[in-house]
Amino acid sequence: MKIRRASAAVAAVATGALLLSACSSPASENEPESEETMAEETEGSAEPTDSCKVDTGVTETADGNISYSAGEVQWAGYNGNLPDTYSTYNSVINDRMFSGFMYFGTDGTICQDEEFGSFEAVSEDPLQVQYTISDDAVWSDGTPITYADYLLDWATQAVTTDGTISEDASETPLFNSVSGLTLGDYVPEGPQADSADAKTFQYDYERVYADWQLMVTSAFPAHVVADQAGVSLEELVTAIEELDMSVLEPAAEFWNTGWLSSTPGELPDPSIVPVSGQYTLKEDGWVAGQSLTLTANEEFWGTPPATKELTYRFAAADTHVQALQNGDLDVIEPQATVDTIPQLEQIGSSVTTLTGQTLIWEHLDYNFANGVFADNLAAREAFAYCVPRQKIVDDLIAPIDEGAVVMNAREVFPYQTEKYDEVTAESYDGRYDEVDLEMATEKFAEAGLEEGTEIRIGYSAPNPRRADEVAAIKSSCDQVGFNIVDAGNADFFAAGGALETGDWEIALFAWAGSGQIASGQNIYATDRPQNFGGYSNETVDEAWNTLASSVDESVHLEQTKIIEKELWDTLYGIPLFAHPGVVAHTSSLENVRFTAAQDGIVWNAEQWARAS
Amino acid sequence: MLKFILRRLGISFLVLWAASLLMYVLTINAGDPLADLRESNAENRDQLMALRVDQMGLDLPWYERYWDWLTGVAGCFTGSCDLGTTVNGANVLDLTAQSASSTLRLVTAATLLAIVVGIAAGIISAIRQYSGFDYSVTFLAFLFFSLPVFWAAVLLKEYGAIRFNDWIASGDMEPPMILGIALVVGVVIAAVVGGTWRRKIYTGAGTFAFVAVVLWVLNILDWYRNPFFGTAMVLLSSLGAAVLVTAIIAGLGNRRVLYAALTTAVVGTISYFVFAGPLLEPSSWWVLIGLFVLAVLVSVGIGAAWGGYARKQAMLISAITGVLTSLTIVFDILVGHWAGFLELKSRPISTIGSETPNFTGDFWESVLDSGMQLILPTIVLTLISVASYSRYTRSSMLEVMNQDYVRTARSKGLSERAVITKHAFRNALIPITTIVAFDFAGLIGGAVITESVFGWKGMGAMFREGLDRVDPDPVMAFFLVTGTAAILMNMLADIAYAYLDPRIRR
Repeated sequence: MKIRRASAAVAAVATGALLLSACSSPASENEPESEETMAEETEGSAEPTDSCKVDTGVTETADGNISYSAGEVQWAGYNGNLPDTYSTYNSVINDRMFSGFMYFGTDGTICQDEEFGSFEAVSEDPLQVQYTISDDAVWSDGTPITYADYLLDWATQAVTTDGTISEDASETPLFNSVSGLTLGDYVPEGPQADSADAKTFQYDYERVYADWQLMVTSAFPAHVVADQAGVSLEELVTAIEELDMSVLEPAAEFWNTGWLSSTPGELPDPSIVPVSGQYTLKEDGWVAGQSLTLTANEEFWGTPPATKELTYRFAAADTHVQALQNGDLDVIEPQATVDTIPQLEQIGSSVTTLTGQTLIWEHLDYNFANGVFADNLAAREAFAYCVPRQKIVDDLIAPIDEGAVVMNAREVFPYQTEKYDEVTAESYDGRYDEVDLEMATEKFAEAGLEEGTEIRIGYSAPNPRRADEVAAIKSSCDQVGFNIVDAGNADFFAAGGALETGDWEIALFAWAGSGQIASGQNIYATDRPQNFGGYSNETVDEAWNTLASSVDESVHLEQTKIIEKELWDTLYGIPLFAHPGVVAHTSSLENVRFTAAQDGIVWNAEQWARAS
Repeated sequence: MLKFILRRLGISFLVLWAASLLMYVLTINAGDPLADLRESNAENRDQLMALRVDQMGLDLPWYERYWDWLTGVAGCFTGSCDLGTTVNGANVLDLTAQSASSTLRLVTAATLLAIVVGIAAGIISAIRQYSGFDYSVTFLAFLFFSLPVFWAAVLLKEYGAIRFNDWIASGDMEPPMILGIALVVGVVIAAVVGGTWRRKIYTGAGTFAFVAVVLWVLNILDWYRNPFFGTAMVLLSSLGAAVLVTAIIAGLGNRRVLYAALTTAVVGTISYFVFAGPLLEPSSWWVLIGLFVLAVLVSVGIGAAWGGYARKQAMLISAITGVLTSLTIVFDILVGHWAGFLELKSRPISTIGSETPNFTGDFWESVLDSGMQLILPTIVLTLISVASYSRYTRSSMLEVMNQDYVRTARSKGLSERAVITKHAFRNALIPITTIVAFDFAGLIGGAVITESVFGWKGMGAMFREGLDRVDPDPVMAFFLVTGTAAILMNMLADIAYAYLDPRIRR
């Protein structure tokens, strides 16, 4: 439900091996597919240029039902922020039931939901953020959404089992939140407001946090938690302020287990699951193993949902295309494979297909810890010159998404046009765009490599697309003198696998962009957990520190340029392409918009309407 | 017999226990339950991992984890069943109950249909050995046996669902379609009936003409969208069924049996009127089940009253006629609700799911809805089982037909019908029993792919998801159900042996 710090884990938690494997295995169809440039829009309707939601002119809810399926996994419960329940499958449903301060636009931009409220940084250093909830905002049971809900939201990410506020986010949390204790670590004092029912509150950060905009989004109903813990809302607020464990323990007990739906098909008691979003659970709307239906929230204060009912069917991904053709599903996000597009086109005009690039991007990383590429820039350059990036994109990606391009950056995506052009203009001169075997041979000799130097390209197998990529690299780079070895293995990323033991020269995998600004620090800075290759560069480290401790967007952009340039010059690795995404919907539906963000196509489901 | 069953149960229990131990160890070593978290770049990844380790008991040695699971299961004997929870926090006991009921719904019809069709096809092809029909059945059996479920399902969805739905929107049969269907039916009937070429051609042509005319008339009446059947047709069909059943099992010469069957058909049709109220708007399935039991009891009673010297046979045949009459009545009711159902759901067959979400129809319309959803997966499952049944029945029947006692029966002047149904068929059934029992147990766990392609959440899905996530609890629950089913079915087969073959009883 929430899009926040742990959001990068969504893809991982939900899709298993997905994050690091490409999307060619059946298990991987539920990557947050996304896109911003509509490569194909058969209807020819004008695509909004604003990446945030645009006004569609809906004033009342029309009767009707729209079916969508994210996959086979059933709904796990109202609280989607537990490690057990935090998954794409659950988020596509729960996100419709909660509104919050922000959401991601189609290109990953952070958008404020003005109907819900607003927020702004009243001071940048020290960082102070003021949040204002709309006066009209109420839970579906009529209780106003207030500071109390957000205080509880903070408490679930700050209080430890010892009844203290987290010092460094490493303690055992009292509330079993998937986000851990980071919020408590950064804001030990918690949000401040005048009273429990205040609509305005302020977050005072202990130290500057670059991704502050993602920290506070939607909240759970504190009045329900208070009720279940046997106290009034005011008493709960006081208990949180005073860390009264006699109240917080039963509250946490309920928060951790009371909102789990452990028996499929049995909806929770409506009185404990009020919603703040456009949709709410429909009575008797959950049939175990089959479907779950949401119905319009009649108490919603803002723009009403365009269509009354939204049905999620629990069906395997490979059944979706035929189900769409038969009208059993109205919107699908099929696996983005070369076969899917002709299948969809064959159906004809009753179905509209949208394709584009997603926030997941594929890359080749060098091993700096050992092997031929460590401490040998010329060797890395020789390899970079012979990797046929354009050919890989043309052969493997363009058939799915016509707009696919070679990716020349790591922290910005090609479809974030303005930023991307500005960053790449300064950081990369285009020297690896085309294969240059002469340069490669020259560098090969300069590096002092022997003819037939073995290069093991490791990835998580089986993965046909990656196998094809390695084959393309082999046919090009073997001419230079390398001996490319396809080291794809099911255990590549597992504990004790090749990645851990260092038995690789090149690692081929994908990162899922999360919309966070500073998450790349874990990948590129010295000794960070995701810096698998053991890369270390002082300039990069320093730039990341500057970036992460600032909330100024111009500073972010400036530092990103420095980082990207240094990563290109020293060749951390070679970015290849952003994964393609495919969405198809019944042509009679309007306002279905592709998004690059990980919320998936349902991000604006409340705007979907059937053409009359 | 009791001692035999108890001993079998005891041994089975030990086998189940040993197998569960093996299964558990294999499952927890089948992969890395933390794989998804390992690749996560969340800041609190280590905490999430520690939590999962704690939740699943990954830090415990395998025997402790197994013991925890076993004590939970042992609770089932004292009324506090605990089959554990899945990684997502779902209760495995509830999940298993739901999955098992969904799978049972899926495989029961398929198994019954496969038994009837498979054995019938097997017997006929044995009787008509080396005829065109025999070769066709053999060819189709091998074709179906090697059918990839995935591919067959996709084809079925294309033609059985998408194209059918497109067609029913108008419900208009084009002449080529009518002629095509009539031709196929004509050829099949001619081949089954057999005889000289002349006779084949006459039956074939007759059937062809009959089917073509019927389809044409139905088309004119817009029957496919607004069908009707009517009480007269119910009566006619049940009488036809009565005659047919008698002819096959007892022979039409046995008048007492024939009259018993005919009486049953008439009484059945009359009771349709008597019970019209509860039948058309039943308050629950129990009403229907109760009426069905009543129908069977009354039929048996009629058989007993008419029976005389052939009492046992008359009771059996009346009971079968009673069941068939009941089915005809249900068919009539369903036909009557078809038009209303089409209004609620303009594309009657969905490609996924076991029912339409938020369906608002009345009882019989809901039955139609879930019934339509059963058709495609049932066809797939039936095709596969039919293939093996027909082959086994054919060979077993051929073997029996060549035995001396069959020749003796023929030479003492018994009719061919009596030889086949009374002397040959019953003995040929013995080996089939084993296969049917095993097959049913296998189907419960083996419909994994069918379930997945048709969007049914059954035992297969539970097993697969559990194994994917290296989550032992759902896998073990799957194992418990399928393992127990295999043992029970196996035992049923043994008991059925004793019934079919008196030699075993001694």
